[in-house]
Amino acid sequence: MDLSFIFMQFLSGLTMATLLFLVASGLTLIFGVGNVFNFAHGSFFMVGAYLAYQAVSAWHTHFWPAILVAALGAGILGMLAESLFLRRIYGRAEEGGFQILLTYSFILVIDDLVKLIWGTEYKSLQRPAGLTGSIEVGSLTIPAYNLAIIGIGLVVVVLAWLILSRTRSGRIARAAAVDREMLGSMGVNVPLTMTLVFGIATAMGGFAGGLAAPLRSVTPGAGIEVIIDSLIVVVIGGMGNFWGAWLGALILGEVNAFGVATVPEWASLFNYLVMVLTLIFKPEGLFAPRRIRKV
Amino acid sequence: MFQNKHVALLCVALLVLAVCPFYASAQEKVIKIGAMYPMTGRPGQYGLDSVDAAEMAVEEINSKGGVAGYKLELLNTDTKAKPDYAVRVTKRYITEDKVHFLFGVVSSAVGLAVTEISKQYKKIFIATDHASTQLTTDKLQPYYFRVSNNTFQSMAAGALYLKELKQTKPWETLAYIGPDYAYGHDQWEELKYNLDRFGVKYKAVGEYWPKLSAPDYTAFITAIMKDKPDILVAGFWGGDTVAFIKQALPYGLFTKMLYFHPDAGGNYEVMQGMGAELPLGLVLSARHHNNWPDTPGNKEYVQKFFQRTARYPTYAAEGAYAGVYAIAEAVKKVGNPDDTEALVKAFEGLKIKLPEDPDGFTSYIDPASHQIVQVQAIGVTVPDDRFPPAKRMLGEWKVYKAEDLLPPKDFRKK
Amino acid sequence: MENKKNYKAASFWALFIVIFAAVPLVKTSDYQLMLANHILLWGMFAVAFNMLFGLTGMLSFGQALYYGLGAYAVGMTVRYMGEAWFLPAIGAGLVAAIILSILVGLLTIRLSGVFFTVLTLAFGQLVWQIVFTCYHITGGDDGIQGIIPPGVLSNRVVYYYFALALVLVSLWCLRRLVDSPMGLLLRCIRQNPERVRFVGGQVRRNQLRIYMISSFFAALAGALMAGVDNSIHPDMLYWTTSGEVILMAVLGGIGRFFGPFIGAAVIIVIGEVVGARTEFWPLIIGLVMMVMVLLLPRGLAGEFQLLRARLASATNGNRG
Repeated sequence: MDLSFIFMQFLSGLTMATLLFLVASGLTLIFGVGNVFNFAHGSFFMVGAYLAYQAVSAWHTHFWPAILVAALGAGILGMLAESLFLRRIYGRAEEGGFQILLTYSFILVIDDLVKLIWGTEYKSLQRPAGLTGSIEVGSLTIPAYNLAIIGIGLVVVVLAWLILSRTRSGRIARAAAVDREMLGSMGVNVPLTMTLVFGIATAMGGFAGGLAAPLRSVTPGAGIEVIIDSLIVVVIGGMGNFWGAWLGALILGEVNAFGVATVPEWASLFNYLVMVLTLIFKPEGLFAPRRIRKV
Repeated sequence: MFQNKHVALLCVALLVLAVCPFYASAQEKVIKIGAMYPMTGRPGQYGLDSVDAAEMAVEEINSKGGVAGYKLELLNTDTKAKPDYAVRVTKRYITEDKVHFLFGVVSSAVGLAVTEISKQYKKIFIATDHASTQLTTDKLQPYYFRVSNNTFQSMAAGALYLKELKQTKPWETLAYIGPDYAYGHDQWEELKYNLDRFGVKYKAVGEYWPKLSAPDYTAFITAIMKDKPDILVAGFWGGDTVAFIKQALPYGLFTKMLYFHPDAGGNYEVMQGMGAELPLGLVLSARHHNNWPDTPGNKEYVQKFFQRTARYPTYAAEGAYAGVYAIAEAVKKVGNPDDTEALVKAFEGLKIKLPEDPDGFTSYIDPASHQIVQVQAIGVTVPDDRFPPAKRMLGEWKVYKAEDLLPPKDFRKK
Repeated sequence: MENKKNYKAASFWALFIVIFAAVPLVKTSDYQLMLANHILLWGMFAVAFNMLFGLTGMLSFGQALYYGLGAYAVGMTVRYMGEAWFLPAIGAGLVAAIILSILVGLLTIRLSGVFFTVLTLAFGQLVWQIVFTCYHITGGDDGIQGIIPPGVLSNRVVYYYFALALVLVSLWCLRRLVDSPMGLLLRCIRQNPERVRFVGGQVRRNQLRIYMISSFFAALAGALMAGVDNSIHPDMLYWTTSGEVILMAVLGGIGRFFGPFIGAAVIIVIGEVVGARTEFWPLIIGLVMMVMVLLLPRGLAGEFQLLRARLASATNGNRG
């Protein structure tokens, strides 16, 4: 393996990692910060892709406004789902089980609604004009859209980290994960906070869906495929830790990229192996400072 | 004491019951076909098209008076592409609904589970889509008949194409990328088997095994670019094909090597999904083409489907259409749908003209393997907008004789 | 009071046995027999899962690992060694489940809450991926078919009674466990593990024990299922299977012993009924589930119990 190939694989891994991160970012927000495991996160990702397609093909917008439509639409849908349904199970004993059941039913309903509205034929979204080509550097070819995505991923992780750690809203959101009651008694409108956090998380899912759409086919059933990969990223990065998620996704992306080139038959195992090893040796995430060991 | 929630539950129970209309008492003289297709998720498109085409065939036949005094009736249940659920559905069809024929399935895993039950209950299973060769070789049972071609036939045609290609564009190296499960592996094994069988010299410089429905092929694409095969053979289906092509385009993969995808690359949903983004010069095939053969029979079938559903069919539809007509033919010969053993004989000797048959050829079932024998055509993507929203269809056809494509008697899955 | 409770419990068990034993006699089709068999096995799987979740508070998202292990022990043994090995294969599956649950349990029980859940999911997926990839040995995505129980068990009705007997014994064992001191200890562990430690209880050891027991019965369910369907598939190891059993438990009510069993029956029957009528079953079933989750915080069994208690107190004039 020569140097230029290693660099190419590294870039491939980075592209895969950024897409993984973008999808998982919403999940790490809602799970790590809001303490709600949204099984249907992949469905919002799928809805984002369909909305972006709808904006471009039916309403004839440009690409980037369509991505905004995707994010907004997924965010609004998420807020509706949270305020009308999810909110009612907060505080129940064994809330985790009910979260799973309720968000799983979201998956079923959203999937069929998408099928009813758009049908099962494959829809397609093209890359924005200007980013369809690639950049040649010596013998290397780097698709322009992939570079844009890598850049967007970095912007997202920096913004998220800044907002969560440096702003008041971010602190409130983080506090909601630790103790909702206490937060409420401090005068914060907890229900509104949870709805907003959920909405932002699903908006990020929709945003990722729209961005990923030019690289995939927009089909029903896309939701359930991404949830496990997203969960792996969230776990090895540490819940609610955006930098962790980004780095975790990077590890996964690179392990995959080089696994594919060296031991193709076993590359598919690596994701789960990384997850298992992380959880065995450092369950709070590879990048978390403290050790939470268990009772 | 009775809270609102109990009232609401009652409403839910009523809603569920409302979705379940009670069946009217069975009519006389009906041939019941128990169809099982995935109607949700990734393969949902194939299920939808298959059911639409099957219903179209049922209506056509019933409007002409049915078969031997019987009318056809199609039942359909979503298999969810899950074998353990499909097994329950099959039992229900056989023992409750008392269907005469089991029909369908898209997933070979489901097909394998269903054929097991078909064997136990001696219920004829007409297979219209799934293509795993095993079902007509080592896993063959007397009540199974397949009316669409298997992967071996596609790969045999592919091997012949590659053999001819050497004359005009000499090539030496091959690489293969396909989903890492039985379907993906089988295609590669069968292609290599056929290349050896037809005496084609080749060198395999790489094999790549992404997961089924892997969203991201970037790492594979760069690895393929490094290995520089002359020909990249692909074994994807459905959305994976679209995703791979979209991701590979900016790398210029298609200018640096020939993309060869003989089993499911030329499926209409790929062309419909990609429009003008689909590059020219890809060598693809499918189990049925909307624009080949250019016969009145095929054109009529495609147009009728379009009028009925406002879209053009993917390959799966023609398999289902063929299946219904095959059942009609067999029952016509035997005179009634209940004499299973006579029907088996009728199917074994079946000859039936299908939309995908070119002039001068009639599809027939090989009595030994219960596999339909058909012509395969492999084409190249060219501009063609007669089937919107597709902007590319296949052209520059090379056609292969059906008899050359059957697996030899002793072919077994390793 | 004690006698009334025993009488009620015994009559419930009697009813249960009578209903399920009667199925082969009143059925009008093999389909109904298979459905009842599925309900029995999934019900047992769900009740065993609830030993971890409802009783001890451990939400494992990886019980499909053992369910699939049992099924594959039977499937692979029969495929490579023949039908005669069916019963020993079940035994082998159970032994494998015990061994694996000790190994996996030791690694996972160190973690609590969501970390435990996610690690069990990861182990399940790891094994699924291995089985899926090694298709030369396991059949991979094709699964294994032709798993016919030998001798007199090849008769479906006989096999049904065989499974019913095993399920009854298993449920009885689990019920005894719940009512035993260990059951009480597990309930305390669910509520407050720290306090249990302080009073000298062994938290980890008991968590490991219940994990092994739960996994043992999950493997039994999978092994028996192989003989019902006559085929197995890697889906049985997939995370969605682990999810199904969680759904069944929560829907039926994790606070009551038979809750998960009822949840299993309801999910299976509604799935069959709706799936047979419409291709838009996800919408219907999704809505039904949402309604049940929102309105029934104690699950079907829990709310039913509450309703009965309220009715009883109303007719008794609110006498305690």
